[in-house]
Amino acid sequence: MSGAGPKGPRLGLGLSEDVDLLRFEQQARDVEAAPGPGPATPGEWIRQNLFSGPVNALLTLASGTFVLFVAYQILSFVFVSAEWEVVQVGMRGYMIGGFPVDEAWRVWASAYLVIVLAGLSYGVSARRLRPSAGQAAVGAVVVAVAGTIVFFTAQTVLVRALTAGVAPAVLAGALVGRLFGRKILRPLIVAWVLVFPAIMIVVRGFDGVPPSEWEGLFFNIVAATVGIVASFPLGLLLALGRRSELPAVRVVSVGLIELFRGVPLVAWLIFSKFVVDLVLPPQMVIPDIVKAFVAMTLFSAAYVGEIVRGGLQGVPAGQYEAARALGLSTTRMMALIVLPQALRSTIPAMISHFISLFKDTSLFVAIEVTDLLAAARRSASSLQYFGRDMETLLFAGLIFWAVAFSMSRWSQRLEVRLGVGRR
Amino acid sequence: MADAALKEAARPSLWRDVRVLRAAGQVVFVVILVVIAREMYLNASFAIGSAGRELSYTYLDSRAGFAIKEHIVGYSANQPLYKAFLAGATNAMLVAAAGIVMATVLGVLIGVARLSPNWMVKKIALVYVEVFRNIPLLVQVIFWYVAVILAIPRIEDSVSIFGVAFVSNRGAAMPAIRSGADFGTWSLFVLAALLVAATVWRWRTRVHERTGGRHYRWLSSLAVMAVLAAAGYALLGDAFKVELPELIAHGYSGGLQISPEFAGILVALVVYTAAFIGEIVRGSILAVSKGQKEAAQALGLSPGQQLRLVVLPQAMRTAIPPINNQYLNLWKNTSLAFAVGFPDLINISTTMVNQAGHALETFSLVVGTYLGTSLLISFGMNVLNRAVTLRGGTA
Repeated sequence: MSGAGPKGPRLGLGLSEDVDLLRFEQQARDVEAAPGPGPATPGEWIRQNLFSGPVNALLTLASGTFVLFVAYQILSFVFVSAEWEVVQVGMRGYMIGGFPVDEAWRVWASAYLVIVLAGLSYGVSARRLRPSAGQAAVGAVVVAVAGTIVFFTAQTVLVRALTAGVAPAVLAGALVGRLFGRKILRPLIVAWVLVFPAIMIVVRGFDGVPPSEWEGLFFNIVAATVGIVASFPLGLLLALGRRSELPAVRVVSVGLIELFRGVPLVAWLIFSKFVVDLVLPPQMVIPDIVKAFVAMTLFSAAYVGEIVRGGLQGVPAGQYEAARALGLSTTRMMALIVLPQALRSTIPAMISHFISLFKDTSLFVAIEVTDLLAAARRSASSLQYFGRDMETLLFAGLIFWAVAFSMSRWSQRLEVRLGVGRR
Repeated sequence: MADAALKEAARPSLWRDVRVLRAAGQVVFVVILVVIAREMYLNASFAIGSAGRELSYTYLDSRAGFAIKEHIVGYSANQPLYKAFLAGATNAMLVAAAGIVMATVLGVLIGVARLSPNWMVKKIALVYVEVFRNIPLLVQVIFWYVAVILAIPRIEDSVSIFGVAFVSNRGAAMPAIRSGADFGTWSLFVLAALLVAATVWRWRTRVHERTGGRHYRWLSSLAVMAVLAAAGYALLGDAFKVELPELIAHGYSGGLQISPEFAGILVALVVYTAAFIGEIVRGSILAVSKGQKEAAQALGLSPGQQLRLVVLPQAMRTAIPPINNQYLNLWKNTSLAFAVGFPDLINISTTMVNQAGHALETFSLVVGTYLGTSLLISFGMNVLNRAVTLRGGTA
């Protein structure tokens, strides 16, 4: 590590450290990717990796027993003692909560919009569409589990058809994207930028559904997206302010970042409910949920600000000097030379921030929003299914996990492709 | 004369002078902020004034009037509100302190296991990390509390561990050490024993350096200390006693008791944070240059010694800043205790606001406590960081 230096890293309220975590993970992957001599036969492999010595053999036996025990517990719960009817009945509540059923097409339309775009992007960017054997195996397991869940929980034929339609939609998108290749890269980026406003219009416009009725998993995803999208410009300002040459701007930026980050999101959400009305003019009335979104945006902006600052610091001084030498003004230097490079390198960190924001949206329970977790808890407190907490919590956890895990995998791949930290 | 004229001519006019512009810009910036802050303050004092209250902290001296299930500050409902706030703050800090210690131990174990040559151990650690860091902490808090802790046997069927400790869904109780009348004198004894043990340690080290024989530092100094402390205990009669918990009707009495709420939030925080700390530890171990481990191997150190004496101390240097960040996260995440009804800072202050009003003042205290404690944690880690950083040379 060369970053530490004689002074050692400075420690503050945990501001500069987030960037380090990513660097560690990158390094860790680099080191692990180093090739080594492979074992010749399966027997040799087992001897080398499981029974290379008495201590190792003992560890293998102990941990093997542990794995068998845990696997037995989980399997016997999932397939024998669990009663999944509660999940079956509550599925719509988990996905969209109290979102009016007649308006559910708005959610479907939004979901398909994103799915097709994702398929197109995959088709454009993937080097090859044919999966490797490992990928195919993982894909088959995922499809099997998802298929089982859909088959047992979908209430109507329409819902089944629409869920089943996801796969062809992705595939069609991927094929079309493959066909056009990098020619449609630019329109695609524009489409991604516009997709969030478009979804907001689909959901809210044309006598749509107000934010107070967004519930279930739909709420978690939308809230996290709102948090990222709205906090991005603010975070950019905070990052630039933190690196400003004007002391007043710098001090205020640092102060705001420290303040928003230093206090837990739960606290900000609860404050937003109690305090925001006090400091605003009395004639301004804002719905609770919007106030909470604002609180989350400020909280998130502090993190985005730190991520962007990390990116700015990664831009070599030569780039600034070259821009200056070309006679660019500060604004144009930032907009044309520095920010494009800085922001590109922050993409993986932004995705992991989005993941943690997505996980944090479960905290809206504190201000009585029925998100996926709250819906799951509610279904286990009904008279008929009282005490089915294990089932509902495991299911909610599985869904949260699937979204967060797949995004983190995606971000790791993106990181490799972007070559962050290797240039 | 000519010089002065030249300078005069070269000086830009006032509104094009960068220094002037910068100063003016900052003044405008600050004025705008002050105007906004003043507007907010006026709105708040107007709203509070029209509700017949005032913006002040004197309400903290009035009677709280609500009970708090568990606390370590001797609180009762008749005591003033600030005492209630204090109870919440110390509860949160207690969870954080216990959580930090346990998450560090578990996290280091996970991090080392991630790099184990044993395939099975490596994969277990990998699955642990990927499962627990990708599930929202709140789901985990509720899972541990509702689905695990509340599902263990009821108090009537408490699991008894050799009759000295009990576990049930009402919590756990274990033996506690209570100080007796002579505890003060005895602690002087222990202090003296510590000094003697240190002397023994130094003596054994010198013997080891001179003769090269086994040093038995740990064994001999610990034995000396144990013997002296035990002698003091026997001599004084009432230094401390061990209090055993008892199972009485629908509850425990005596001993050290842990409530299910405390256990729920603590286990969730530890399991969640350890996944992150594990990744940091793994990253920092991999960042230690390979030659260090090879050199340790060449010197004939056992794998355990290589890790303990060569690799981990160096890994610590790179790990401390991100681990500090995890500690801060853990501290902030104690706020999730609201989900299980553990009386933490958020829980108590929300109750305070609901009962006594004064939202703005109470929340300013909450913000101050979170920021202050975060600074304290960072300060502690900074001291540690300075202790392990290489001095002078290059890292």
